[in-house]
Parts: sequence; C-alpha cells; structure tokens
Amino acid sequence: MAQAIRPLIETQYANQVQAFERSPWFQRLEQGQASPQEYDAFVFNLCQTHLKSPQILAFLYAVAPPEAAPQIKHNLLEELGLDEAAICHPDLLYLLATAAGFDRDRQTNLAEAAQAQIRQLCTDPLLFGTMQELGLSVLLEVTCFEWMLSRLASRIGKALAAHRGLPPESLTWFHHHSEVDIRHAEEGLDSVEQYLAYYEIEAEDLETILDITFRENIFIKRYFADLPALAETAL
Amino acid sequence: MKIVDATLFALQIPFVEAFAHSVRSRSSSDSIVVRLQADDGTVGYGEAVARPYVTGETVASCLEFMERALWPAVQATDYAPWAGQDAIAWLGSLALPSDGDNSTTGVVAWNAARCGFELALVDCLLKSAGVSLGELLPPRHPVTYSGVITASSVEGAVKHAKRFKQFGLPHMKVKITGEADRERLAAIRAAVGPEMSLRVDGNGAYSVEDAIATCEALAEFHIDSAEQMIPRGDPQELATVQGATAIPQMADESLITRADAEALIEAKACRGFNLRLSKCGGLGPTLAIAELAQAAGIQMQVGCQVGETAILSAAGRHLAAYLPEISFCEGSYGSLLLREDLSRRPIHFGHQGLAKPLKGPGLGVEIQDDLLEKYAQQVISLSAKAV
Repeated sequence: MAQAIRPLIETQYANQVQAFERSPWFQRLEQGQASPQEYDAFVFNLCQTHLKSPQILAFLYAVAPPEAAPQIKHNLLEELGLDEAAICHPDLLYLLATAAGFDRDRQTNLAEAAQAQIRQLCTDPLLFGTMQELGLSVLLEVTCFEWMLSRLASRIGKALAAHRGLPPESLTWFHHHSEVDIRHAEEGLDSVEQYLAYYEIEAEDLETILDITFRENIFIKRYFADLPALAETAL
Repeated sequence: MKIVDATLFALQIPFVEAFAHSVRSRSSSDSIVVRLQADDGTVGYGEAVARPYVTGETVASCLEFMERALWPAVQATDYAPWAGQDAIAWLGSLALPSDGDNSTTGVVAWNAARCGFELALVDCLLKSAGVSLGELLPPRHPVTYSGVITASSVEGAVKHAKRFKQFGLPHMKVKITGEADRERLAAIRAAVGPEMSLRVDGNGAYSVEDAIATCEALAEFHIDSAEQMIPRGDPQELATVQGATAIPQMADESLITRADAEALIEAKACRGFNLRLSKCGGLGPTLAIAELAQAAGIQMQVGCQVGETAILSAAGRHLAAYLPEISFCEGSYGSLLLREDLSRRPIHFGHQGLAKPLKGPGLGVEIQDDLLEKYAQQVISLSAKAV
C-alpha cells in the first residue's frame, strides 16, 4: 500500500496545480491582463490565506504522529521566524500588503478576515466523524499548498513585480516559498505517509478524503473567490 | 404592520460541482430572494425556486407574478403580528394568492412565487415581534439529513456515495434516469454497505411499465422508497405502479397543491409525500398537505430544491423538526453545494447528517446583503411603484 499512496497523492496535487495554473484568473495575472483591482484582490486573498499558517501548523503539530511531529514543529517555528533563519512569514505578508498600498484600515480588514477563517473552521458543523479525518484533510491541503508554491511562487512574484510594480523587497514571501517549499513539499508527503500509518487509515478512506478535500480547486477557491466579477468588469 | 418596501433578487450562485437528474443538469443556483421591509424598519427574507418542469414557473414568470399579483396584495394588507395562535391559521391569514389566470401559461400554481413572499413575510413579521419560527412550529425531534446523489456517471455516483458514508449520513437518495440503473445501485450499495438506507428518484422519467420493471429490478438493493418514477398525471397511474411493487412510491411532482394531495390519497396512489416548500407554496399550504398526509397514514419526506440557499433551508429545517414524524429529510447543503451561501453562519448539517434547531428570530438565519448584490443577475425594486 505504501508505494501506491505517494503517487496517488502526487497525482491529486499535480491536478490541482495544473488546473490553477491554467485557470483564466492565473493566466490574466501572469500575463499582465488583470486590472489593478484584480491584483490587489489577489494580494488580499493570498495574505488572508497564509497569515494564519502558524495557527494551522500548530493544529497539525497537535495531531501529528511522533515521527512527523518534529518536522511540523520545525515548519511552525520557521513560519514564526523562531528558527535559525529568523524570518517571520506573516511579517513578510504584511510587507507585501504595505507595498500593494494597503493602508492601516485595509490591513486591519486583512487581519480580521484571516481570523474569521479560523473562527469559521471552529464554528462550522463538522462533517468528519473524528479528528484524525479532519487532521488528514487539513494536512493534505497544507502540503498541497507547499507543492504548488514550490512550483509557482516564483512566477507569481515575478508577475506582481512586472505587472503590479511591486518592489523586490516586498516579494520576499514568494522567493522564500519557492525555495523552502520544495523541501516542505517532499517532507509534507513524508508526513502524510506517517500520518496514515500512525492512525491506520485505509487506502479507501484516504481516497475518499482526498476526493472530499480536493473536490474544488483549493487555490482558485482561496485566491480567486471574489475575482470572477472583477474579471468580467475588466474585460 | 405595513410592508413598505420589496426587492427581488434573481440570483445565480455557482455550484462547487454540477448536479444532474433525469430532467436537467445545473451548475449554479437560480433562486429568487424576496426582501421585504416593514414600516418599523424590520427586514425579512424569503426564497422562491422556479422549476418549469414542476410547477410550470420560470424565473421570469415568477418575477412577473410577484410584481403583478403578490406585491400589490402584500402592500395593501395591514398585518397582525403572531400572537400565539395556531400556525396554519396565522399563516393562512397572510392572504397570499397562488392562483391566477394559468390557462395560457402552463403554470400549475404560482407556488414558488408565493413561497418566496410568504417566507419573507414570516421572517419579517416574526423578527419584528422578536419571535423565532421555532415558537410557531416548536421542534419535536432532531433533524437528520440525507445525501442526494446526482445522476452523473456510475463512477461519479459511487464517489459521492463514499463521501456521504464518510460523513456518516444514514440515508441517501439516488437520482436515476433509466440508464444503467441496476449497475448504479449495485455499485452504490457495494460502496456503502448494507446498513445505509437507499432510495431512488426518477423525476418522472419512466412509463408505468418501466417504473414497475425498474422497481422490481432494484428491489434486491433494499430500496426504501421510489420517488416520482412516472410523470405527473392521473393519480390512478401512480396507484398502478404502487400496486405492482413492494417499494413504497413517493409523490413529488405529482404533489403540488392540496387538491393533488386529496386526489393521491383518494386513489391510494402512493405511500409517501415529498413536501417541498417552494413546490407546495410555502409553510401554510405545506402544513395543510402534511395534515392530510398524517390523517391518511402517508409517510412524509421533507424535500428541498437543488441549489436552495440558507433561507429555504432554514424554513425546511423548522418544518422538518416540527412535523410529528418524517421518514427522510433533504436540504441544508449550503456551502457543500453552493460556492457561497447567503447566511452569516453556515446552515449545513454536520456528521451523521445531524443539525440543530434554529433559534434566532424569524427564520433564524442572518442574510448577508452584500452576497445578494454579488450574485444578483437581476434586481427589481418594487418600493417606488404605487399600487
């Protein structure tokens, strides 16, 4: 079973990334066809998605099996800037938001929107019957983001520099993620395998949880949820 | 209390994934939300889902009927707040027409339109009095929702079934079309195991003979009900199907009006009624049909509209919790199907399909006006027009 798991997950990740990369919203951003509002909405949604990464990693650390826990703890400390590199990732996102011209009110909105997502995660009725299933679904989504960022973060950063005129120092988050997430993506797959083994999750259940987690494109959902109307306006 | 302002929002909210049955496939909701404002400033929301193949209403004709017949009636009425009287009597006092000149429109009844206005009035009047619909219709039991499996490929249907099993849902309804029905049910039964309650819905795709043959062919999969196998028509035809099969038949499109209910009972046409608020004209008419069903020993299912928002789902939740005994309940899919639902708090059920009663004033959901604006294809303001 162990040999079949990794390709199964990698196929799902690859499909998610490919659909995102080929989506009209991504193409418009990368090719400079998006309006300034679209770029700013994208920056807002991206920051909203990732600002609470430390909290999500803390949840994953709490449910991680012993073999995976040290790695997830390291990622958590890295996000918070408490590792040897000492780069706080949420601070990099605020740097990006500031460069995009978000004033104090907009940044407050951003922080509130990110917190609202955590609140929603806690208040939505739980569809899964156990924490192990929820934990697996969150772990799959987080590692899929790392998989995508290791492949596309650099291109996204370049697009924001070229077409939105953001200075290089504001785009450190993208450069950082294009490098560290290559390692994170591989380690993330190890963590998933360890998680499955520790909780004795059967292949059939994994397939169903993969199907549930990725029934929508998670990147389009998180980054472009409110962009279709803007895109139509700009066309 | 007078209603001083009405706005109709014809929405199009994209689905997370397409949903199909034997009549059509859709990838976005097409609900009409009715927003009413009373003279004390209270705002209430109702929802109509027009289905040409059910009541004959379309979105356009529904909007036209709302503007032409319902809004003048509402505007002209001075509403008394609910003061603890019988629910059906009070709902009846709202005096909303659902009939009109239907001779040329092909409309059976303007039930979706009526439902939209009725729910908005109920929400508005009860909110104004600080009363929950749950006080008018006190919950008698928790509500357990079923999953509904779209008529996609057999492989896709099995995927859906596995999701619902993972969510612990105890009941599932499978849309069937006459193509690969046996293969579909065999695959689903194999995927979900023997404990799951399965039922089928033909959406009127079968002839009487085919319906009987299909029920016979599917009986080995332990089907708990077969919904609307044949098209709406003579109740005697449905009685023929019911007489020839052990699977309980459930009337859906055949059950739109109170007269339909009486005729179906008279003909002993089926063992179950699917009560859907938008199809049956709102809470008042649906409760009246439920009373008939209960007296006749007919099982009741509380159904829903594909793509309904939190407004209809909330009203359906109140209805399902109030009715003394229901066999199955559908709805409250919220953001499981819609890209975004309209309520601030999620309406969807949790593990095992369980959902709590809604306790807030009115229907008990807080609607986000910015989402109405975001997804509106058409907005009609009726406040400025004189009666």
